Amino acid sequence: MFPCKYRTAGFKGYAVKFSPFTDRLLASAASANFGLIGNGRLSILATTTTNTNNSRTQSNTNNSPLTILPQQHYDTQDGLFDLSWNELHENQLISASGDGSIQLWDITLKTHPVAKWKEHKREVMSVEWNYTAKTAFLSSSWDGSVKLWNPVHAQGSVQTFSEHTGCVYTAAWSPRHQDQFASCGEDKSIRLWSTNAPQGRSIASFGGHTDQVVSLDWNKYSPDMFVTSSTDRTIKIWDTRNLRGSVTMFGPFEFPVRRVKFCPFSPHFIATAGYDMSASVWDVRNGSVTFVHDAHTEFVFGIDWSYFHPGQIASCGWDEQIHVFNAPLPQ
Amino acid sequence: MASFRLTQVASHLNGTKAPRTQIGVQSPDDIVIVQALRTPITRARKGGFKDTTSEYLLGTILRGLLERTRIDPTLVDDICVGNVCPPGGGATTARMAALYAGFPNTTSVQTVNRQCSSGLQAVVHIAHAIQAGMIDVGIGAGVESMTQFYGPQNKLIPDTISDEVMEAPQAADCIIPMGLTSENVSAEFGIPRPKQDAFAALSHQRAARAQKLGHFNEEIYPVRTKIADKDGKETEIIVDRDDGVRPEATAESLGKLRAAFSADGATTAGNASQVSDGAAAVLLMKRSRAKELGLPIQGKFVASAVAGVPPRIMGVGPAYAVPAVLKKTGLTVAQLDIIELNEAFASQAVYCVETLGLDINKVNPKGGAIAFGHPLGCTGARQISTLLTELKRQDRRVGCTTMCIGGGFGMAAIFESEH
Repeated sequence: MFPCKYRTAGFKGYAVKFSPFTDRLLASAASANFGLIGNGRLSILATTTTNTNNSRTQSNTNNSPLTILPQQHYDTQDGLFDLSWNELHENQLISASGDGSIQLWDITLKTHPVAKWKEHKREVMSVEWNYTAKTAFLSSSWDGSVKLWNPVHAQGSVQTFSEHTGCVYTAAWSPRHQDQFASCGEDKSIRLWSTNAPQGRSIASFGGHTDQVVSLDWNKYSPDMFVTSSTDRTIKIWDTRNLRGSVTMFGPFEFPVRRVKFCPFSPHFIATAGYDMSASVWDVRNGSVTFVHDAHTEFVFGIDWSYFHPGQIASCGWDEQIHVFNAPLPQ
Repeated sequence: MASFRLTQVASHLNGTKAPRTQIGVQSPDDIVIVQALRTPITRARKGGFKDTTSEYLLGTILRGLLERTRIDPTLVDDICVGNVCPPGGGATTARMAALYAGFPNTTSVQTVNRQCSSGLQAVVHIAHAIQAGMIDVGIGAGVESMTQFYGPQNKLIPDTISDEVMEAPQAADCIIPMGLTSENVSAEFGIPRPKQDAFAALSHQRAARAQKLGHFNEEIYPVRTKIADKDGKETEIIVDRDDGVRPEATAESLGKLRAAFSADGATTAGNASQVSDGAAAVLLMKRSRAKELGLPIQGKFVASAVAGVPPRIMGVGPAYAVPAVLKKTGLTVAQLDIIELNEAFASQAVYCVETLGLDINKVNPKGGAIAFGHPLGCTGARQISTLLTELKRQDRRVGCTTMCIGGGFGMAAIFESEH
């Protein structure tokens, strides 16, 4: 399928996420000047299918060419590095900003966020809504902390988890245990946490990467397995039951992978976005690359799988491009 | 602010590169050992293989490897054989042995000579060829019939060496008999004779115990061969154990032997490695290939290193090669679970154990070359089979094989068991 594109002109893409409610919406978080300085932009995009008669159809199917049209966008004071859709309210999503703030947006509103939380002392690197319990979300920051939030909790964050030293690049919820999440960071470590643990102490710590760990995601079908990517230019597969270290390693490659995501439709595949300017799909059983999307002309920082169309992927990068394409998922 | 963010992005691109092979981590590109196997080792001229030729030994162990692994021989791209003494470097007989073992003529064969480390160097050459993508599947092997090719009638060093070359610094040291290099180590580093004899006795005790308890069963492939009595009458025998082991050897009994290489020396026939015959072979490929072929994985090749040392004290080799290979892997001596340190001479073995600070309980737990022999080209490959089976038996993970090398070198390699 011809990769469908949209250009977030003037803003370099950092994250792209499909809506969990409809296959017709996706959003991207992007920043001016490569995210170094300047504004951020949250873009809400609608996808439609045009069949050969050029008329709009009800739902998107894998074989029809997709069009991406801008629906809405919001500009922020500082750059945006991540976003996550609200799992309870289809019109809401949150964004992670470089000034340490998190915004909650309602896409039926034209300009301002519905809520804004400024607690983190440095850039917020990731946000993720809990997709099992659905009431809470996490943020991870360069200030070394991970925070738990609940939008109905007016005073601010519910809990702060501060054991990492340095930037915490990603915090990701466990797909099985709704109180558990893992985080990874600049300190080369990975930590497993529970929101039920006393005094907010981590449950376990995993080491093995020889440089910063920049991305982490859980296998949705084998919930003891998670994957990480690191600036030591490897991808490692871990088992939470094996504290000695990673189970498998792919690489080292020439360029690090910046974001890694397990497929929602299969236990075997991950999508990666990297400094080699490609978005790829890997089979974790043998470390082979099953699909490469190399149409980006700059670092690819954002990647997400569609929850409705197996194999459909959205990617975004510093070339201001958002691409939606299909990757085969062989058995 | 902006400068911090810029530095962060730059740090992603300048990041340190992870080592390709990591202990405890499996990677599809790891070079793995499907099986390491050896023949028994017998005393040259007197033992079970005294009437067996080196190509028969090599062909038999290659055949044994095919039998045990059940790999399709046509899949093997190259066989590298370490051997030291045979004419022509054993290249032609090695090729013939491979054909005898059942490999097609499309399987290439080569030989290598780095003296006592030849068997290990052969395995390392194959590992590197697989890593570089030159081949897919290979066998590193080693063989030596010291009965056939080692002795006063066999010339390993030519009669006439250029005077000019001989006058180069340390060149003359290269033709010092090995026993004298052992005396040099004894004297220069002060390793007293009783200590050497005690070490030699320990080797025999450990080997005898291992034999009795069947700890060598997994690594040995029995060999059917012929032996001739003093009248020339041939009988067929099966050789299935190392025949050099002397369970009754003690430090005292060994203390009675006369010095063999110099009048007031410390090196005797009892505290030096035995002159022996034997062969060993190791099947290697990438982990991804082993998985594809459905083959079990005995262990993983992690790293190797070679170090040059003064030829006149060649025995110190491991004291330099082991730190070199540890540096490559980021491991420490304490993290090695078992060390197979070739016992060329008790003098150099003791020196290396002490200098490296090795725990003697971790060194040669099944005994070594003093007890069961050192068929020169075979040893480097043999050590791998001894090491991996013992790591499995003790349920440990990380092992090191190392040896000193005539001419002045040491070589060492790190393996990880995947039992």
